[in-house]
Amino acid sequence: MNQEKILEVNDLDIKFELRGKTLHAIRGISLDLYKGEILAIVGESGSGKSVFTKSFMGLLERNGYVDGGSAVYSGAEDRENVELTAVKREKDWLKIRGHEIAMIMQDPMTSLSPLKTIGVQIMEAVLLHQKVGHSEAKKRTLKYLMDVGIQDPEKRFDQYPHEFSGGMRQRVVIAIAIACNPQILICDEPTTALDVTIQAQILDLIKELRHKYRLSVILITHDLGVVANIADRVAVMYAGDIVEIGTCEDIFYDARHPYTWALLSSLPQVGVKGTDLFSIPGTPPNLYTEIKGDAFAPRNPQALKIDFVKRPPYFEVSPTHKAKTWLLDPRAPKVDPPPVVSKIRNGGLL
Amino acid sequence: MEREVLLDVRDLDVTFGERRKKYEAVKKVNFKIYKGETFGLVGESGSGKTTIGRAIMRIVPSCGGDILYKGDKINGRISAELDRKVIKEIQMIFQDPQASLNERAKVDYIISEGLMNMEKGLGEKERKKRVDQALLDVGLLPEFASRFPHEFSGGQRQRIGIARSLIMNPDFIIADEPISALDVSVRAQVLNLLGDMKKKRQITYLFIAHDLSVMRFITDRIAVIRKGEIVEMAETEELITHALHPYTRALLSAIPMPDPKHEKEKKLLVYDPSVHDYSWEKASWREIRPEHYVLANRKEAEEYKKLYKD
Repeated sequence: MNQEKILEVNDLDIKFELRGKTLHAIRGISLDLYKGEILAIVGESGSGKSVFTKSFMGLLERNGYVDGGSAVYSGAEDRENVELTAVKREKDWLKIRGHEIAMIMQDPMTSLSPLKTIGVQIMEAVLLHQKVGHSEAKKRTLKYLMDVGIQDPEKRFDQYPHEFSGGMRQRVVIAIAIACNPQILICDEPTTALDVTIQAQILDLIKELRHKYRLSVILITHDLGVVANIADRVAVMYAGDIVEIGTCEDIFYDARHPYTWALLSSLPQVGVKGTDLFSIPGTPPNLYTEIKGDAFAPRNPQALKIDFVKRPPYFEVSPTHKAKTWLLDPRAPKVDPPPVVSKIRNGGLL
Repeated sequence: MEREVLLDVRDLDVTFGERRKKYEAVKKVNFKIYKGETFGLVGESGSGKTTIGRAIMRIVPSCGGDILYKGDKINGRISAELDRKVIKEIQMIFQDPQASLNERAKVDYIISEGLMNMEKGLGEKERKKRVDQALLDVGLLPEFASRFPHEFSGGQRQRIGIARSLIMNPDFIIADEPISALDVSVRAQVLNLLGDMKKKRQITYLFIAHDLSVMRFITDRIAVIRKGEIVEMAETEELITHALHPYTRALLSAIPMPDPKHEKEKKLLVYDPSVHDYSWEKASWREIRPEHYVLANRKEAEEYKKLYKD
């Protein structure tokens, strides 16, 4: 794999001020994104995965702010590296948003304007981000429509979003993102609102476009099946922190963090009919209060004493794979992973 | 063994609009649901699966065919007595717990609304007791009765939706995508809860969803529906291991599995309706393998029979 970094996040902290209280949404995340890879971020809702990626584009709500750490973007060809946490003015964000880092949202119906034809909406991005005239822009728009798999682009150019199906709308949204000519594409649950057959097609499209336009992709999802399909690397997020990160194979065949185990065990695909599915006891921690130790410890029946006292650092399992759990400390007692891990490794599904 | 049929749907038609703008959402659908089983209805959006559920609930009127519940016809005009019985015994769980609970009502009212309507003579004490019990049954605390829906998380809200249907002591529950809007870990909790209720109370479910992996886990039999027509129906394992209809096989190939090797090697099948040549003979309902039905003409049936010979 090409190991050139395009985004380097170090110890990033994000907080929100809410009714006089402080919500610590992102608690010291470090993460590298390599050129040309697809990195999946998985986690429950509320784990902070959307907030984390929104901070790269200056899209945090007004009461949210970066409270420490850095995020360095080094993908720009004609410019020096950008420290994203230092960008303050809207004018400066406009140079990054779309142009360098583009985003695809979950629901294509809310991210398209119902009042403009899709051709105009895509062309708007072309005109803004590529220095071309009107007729050239239209030519390129038609090409983008072809690239995202929309047949008969001349006719489709003049149609409105309501004339498209859900999957086709998502293709249009992808075309708009591509038309900005970005280096990084952030996909925030791009297929959650779609049928399985359409979902598979959109995932294939993202894979294809990544090669064609040399994109680095961050994919946010809570569906581990999607992750297995598309990701090169996987980051598992819990309570504002990445608790385990590794290649797709590392996470699915050799998971080490109890939370990753729990996530895998609760999938209906691995369940045995007639028996209860594994479900994680308790609820995610309250991020208004400072978390002591391992955030997952209160929900982990096998938690060690130290889990409640001290926050675990990253332990390296292999050069590509690391996890934040005291279980990997040489002094820790040996805890076997649940049966689901070996079941997946041995291809015991379906 | 002869199983007791709880719900029998015969040649059900549902049409929206009139004359030129007519749209047939459900076309001549037939299936039976036996007592105590979980029957799954799988299809993509727009296939008419929700419409069938709603037609059974009588939220949308049916245009043709019969829906028999315990032998009585419940669609069209029915007696007031039967109407009350059906309202009480058939309950529904909705997809989006955000939208299906009255935001201005307290949980106490939401859960007991059905009771207050159906059992007029019920005393306040008895009603409170039943609400508390219903909350406990779904794993919530009786104190929650005095709160509003917005104070709960998505999973808890779905439990309130389930409690509201359980309090009526139903025989039959229609669950329309009950876990699609929920997180992975909460999904497991709700699935387990539905499974528990089935064991404890012998409730029969009609489970509507688009996700075959969830269906495989929870259902006994599955019908696959496409554009208002059921194309294949069989017992769950039989359907998944010996899918016949190309549409079912396309759906199966698209299920995402949490196994990178499997996912990277898998070949996506795309369903092309033009593979069927029904110009010389129309498709009909045929039993290819034991208890395994598929919509096909004679020529296709022969081909399907050969499919799993070895």
